[in-house]
Amino acid sequence: MNPSDLDRAEILMYLGTPSLTPDLDAVLEQCIESLCKAAQPRTIYRVLPVTHTETGVTLGGLPLQGRDISLHLTGCKEAVLLGATLSAPVDALIRRAEVADMTQAVMYDAVAGAAVEAVCNQLEAQIRQKHPYPYYTARFSAGYGDFPITQQGDLVRLLDAPRKIGLTVTPHQTLLPMKSVTAVMGMSHEPVKDARRFCCGQSCSECPYHETCAHANL
Amino acid sequence: MDFRTLLLNEFVFLDGGMGSMLHLAPGELPERLNLTEPERVAAVHRAYAEAGSQIVYTNTFGANPLKLAGTGVDAAESIRAAVKLAKAAVGEGVCAALDIGPTGQLLPPAGQMTFEAAYDSFRTMCEAGAEAGADLIVIETMSDLLETKAALLAARESTDLPVLVTMTFTENGRTFTGCPISAAAMTLEGLGAAAIGINCSLGPKEILPMMQEMAKWTSLPLIAKPNAGLPDPITGEYYLTPEDFAEYMPQFADCGVQFFGGCCGSTPEFIAAVRKRLNNIRRGRRALQRPAALCSGTRTVLLDMPRVIGERINPTGKKRMKQALLDQDFDYLRGEAISQTDAGADILDVNVGTPGINEAEVLPQAVKAILEVTDLPLQLDSSDPAALEAALRIYPGKPIVNSVNGKAESLATVLPLVKHYGAAIVGLTLDENGIPQSAAERFRIGKKILEHAQKLGIPKEDVFLDCLTLTASTGESGPSETLNAVHRVRTELGLQTVLGVSNISFGLPNRPLINRNFLNMALTNGLTLPIMNPMAEGMMDTVRAYRMLAGFDPNCEKFIAAYQDTGAQNAAPAAQPEHLTLTDAVCRGLRQDAARLTQAALEQHAPLEIVNEMLIPALDAVGADYEAGKVFLPQLIQAATAAQSAFGVIKQHMVSQEGDSADKGKIIVATVQGDVHDIGKNIVRLLLENYGYDVIDLGKDVPPQKIVDTAIANQVKMVGLSALMTTTVGAMAETIKLLHQQYPECKTVVGGAVLTGDYAETIGADCYAKDAKATVDYAKTVFEN
Repeated sequence: MNPSDLDRAEILMYLGTPSLTPDLDAVLEQCIESLCKAAQPRTIYRVLPVTHTETGVTLGGLPLQGRDISLHLTGCKEAVLLGATLSAPVDALIRRAEVADMTQAVMYDAVAGAAVEAVCNQLEAQIRQKHPYPYYTARFSAGYGDFPITQQGDLVRLLDAPRKIGLTVTPHQTLLPMKSVTAVMGMSHEPVKDARRFCCGQSCSECPYHETCAHANL
Repeated sequence: MDFRTLLLNEFVFLDGGMGSMLHLAPGELPERLNLTEPERVAAVHRAYAEAGSQIVYTNTFGANPLKLAGTGVDAAESIRAAVKLAKAAVGEGVCAALDIGPTGQLLPPAGQMTFEAAYDSFRTMCEAGAEAGADLIVIETMSDLLETKAALLAARESTDLPVLVTMTFTENGRTFTGCPISAAAMTLEGLGAAAIGINCSLGPKEILPMMQEMAKWTSLPLIAKPNAGLPDPITGEYYLTPEDFAEYMPQFADCGVQFFGGCCGSTPEFIAAVRKRLNNIRRGRRALQRPAALCSGTRTVLLDMPRVIGERINPTGKKRMKQALLDQDFDYLRGEAISQTDAGADILDVNVGTPGINEAEVLPQAVKAILEVTDLPLQLDSSDPAALEAALRIYPGKPIVNSVNGKAESLATVLPLVKHYGAAIVGLTLDENGIPQSAAERFRIGKKILEHAQKLGIPKEDVFLDCLTLTASTGESGPSETLNAVHRVRTELGLQTVLGVSNISFGLPNRPLINRNFLNMALTNGLTLPIMNPMAEGMMDTVRAYRMLAGFDPNCEKFIAAYQDTGAQNAAPAAQPEHLTLTDAVCRGLRQDAARLTQAALEQHAPLEIVNEMLIPALDAVGADYEAGKVFLPQLIQAATAAQSAFGVIKQHMVSQEGDSADKGKIIVATVQGDVHDIGKNIVRLLLENYGYDVIDLGKDVPPQKIVDTAIANQVKMVGLSALMTTTVGAMAETIKLLHQQYPECKTVVGGAVLTGDYAETIGADCYAKDAKATVDYAKTVFEN
């Protein structure tokens, strides 16, 4: 990865700080460089048919649970299911820093968060170019709103992600390597007015995680 | 058809893709078809047999009990049906191979599935396959070397069938988990695979150079089963025609490949085309000399020059290490592993032998912990065969076993383990009569060990001899006898030589000087694997200089890289601010200064005084600024890290003084069962330790009962639990429930991204901490009352 691909403001947001002292800024730059060197971004996506049923919505034959994902795909006949991972060496880098230098570990964690977003942004741009739908909904992931995290395994299997990009899921629905994402994006010829926003359908002030969420504290 | 008879052929033809031939409907489970529509599967096998496949793979790639859980399909039942239908479909002339794919989960260090769980699932598959009459077993599309090892060991230990193993690699020549081709080859050969190779991954064009690489690392027959080119990114279709695919195969034959097949996108036409293309072609002959090398799951170390074995992870004579082992403080071991890796060690010795420790239990735990933070190969160091075996089983790669000796009992117990697990072995040149004085006698014992090893099939390049360093103070001829023995072993037997270098100076003044000189003499006499402290003054310098002078460092590149900045450093020693106090150093997050100033402070102050009057006020000041929004998380952590280095110095001091503990009380922290996100908990631990609490860190994915048992055993007053997933807060609730039942006086504090104050109350936690600082504040109230 290229360090210039990363959004510095986003990294600071994950670090929960508006700015850094010069010495910490130097540590951050070093961490960005090492992480970009270690990362081996891998992505996969499938364009799958969406079917709206009385009970909800299915994606490539897989019933997706919850009202939010159903609203998110309102009117869409197709949607993209994508998976992205920074791969195992990034986890190793963070594990090591957690023992050797916690300051670096915290930095790596934030940088990795921004890096996986950057990888998803690049993938999304490619997808939009290859599949010219006028409207795409935001990337919506299992665990957002009432789209249950327990469907993570179904999504990973639908992508054949372990075999294609080495992205696996534990029995407790954690993605491994840890710095990974799966998400659903609706494709539409009309604006999807019910599409969900970033992480949930609600406003941040109603969110139970408001106090600790990095995004809410922007 | 017998597999051994097949091996006599110049080439053996496998089958191609199964999934695409079955034309599965969305959501249809291929393994279910063995039971519900056997004819559909049998038709695919027949098509391959008719196209010329001599081995067909059963439709059991995903028939792992772990993968089929919840689908209603019984793995063993599906496998038995699959094997029987395959045998019936292809008849006598074609072998039916039980096909085993990955579980889809990762093992440590990348994942959390246990070796034992993976092993048991594979064993179930192998037993069912063998019972149903499979002619051989194939393990394919593997990415994680430890998972592959679990499958291969399960196959070898539960059946007598030959086992073929192929792994899948990416463009960079490594698997998804980072395993290089060399490490895969040497590990799988050591573990007794009948043939190894590469499948899936990429098309033949991309795999060809990888096969050429693999051919250098193994003497086993090679297998190539590439995809039909690269898939179209939009349609997912593979683009190579059978003829285009087959056109690459003579080059595979040239590098010695004997087994040919196809993977994703290939069909019976591909197999027919490959057979046709290889008609009248012969396999390239291969050099059978494998390089001497070791590996972890992600790194190969070639023994082509002196390599340093770091000796620090060994409690002998090290009180702090002994204490860490007794406390199960594996972070101390991890720290030593990182320091030695950074200092330039190539291999790390791991020895946990100390009174009060069950080595068979602790050695594998230590190995796992160390491999989380370093990719260096390990030397498993124990005199307890049970401990060696426990560690050998879960080690991903090819380690060294230290050691066997010339005694009959040692040869009979240790060497079979080394053979079974494909390790390298250090032979100590002593026997029933003790350590011989003379070089000639040590050489004789060494030769005997080599002969015993070779008789068991352990290759010569995997036998290393330790001619034993005795302290120079015991007799003036001692060092030269050792050196002569090293010289003879290296020149006459051509083996790797091992020595514990620093033993030479035991009981003498100025030990570093003696060690450096002896190291240099030993290297010159043919020592290839010094066991030493890579952080000790001048030791790595000596090794680097030797490598450069002896021609192991082309263009002096590595030497220059290591030392080009030294001139500048010597010229301008770092200015040391004289007025900096320990409190300042912590507030400003200056780790090295904090350690240095603590060392100085210990000369005049008691440890507790330093903690209470210098460190804690500093942390309080930073903590107050953090709460006031004047500083933010990074500065808080930076200060905590500086305080941690100060505590490291204090701990070292206390252990050596055997004085009273500076600890204020014991606290357990753990990330709950099922959860692997550890960083939040680690920040909490760091801050709690900063405030002088003795933190028992149980790590991540910790079962509820283990937390309760540890709390009771240590009479812990407070337990901190972390969870990051909504799927794992249930385990947090369960842990608190058990604590309430079995140890009600213990206080609980919880935190993590998905927790809220309300939820914490619902599950009965005594406190919800929104961040690490809040946990410390709560701890103060618990321990002050």
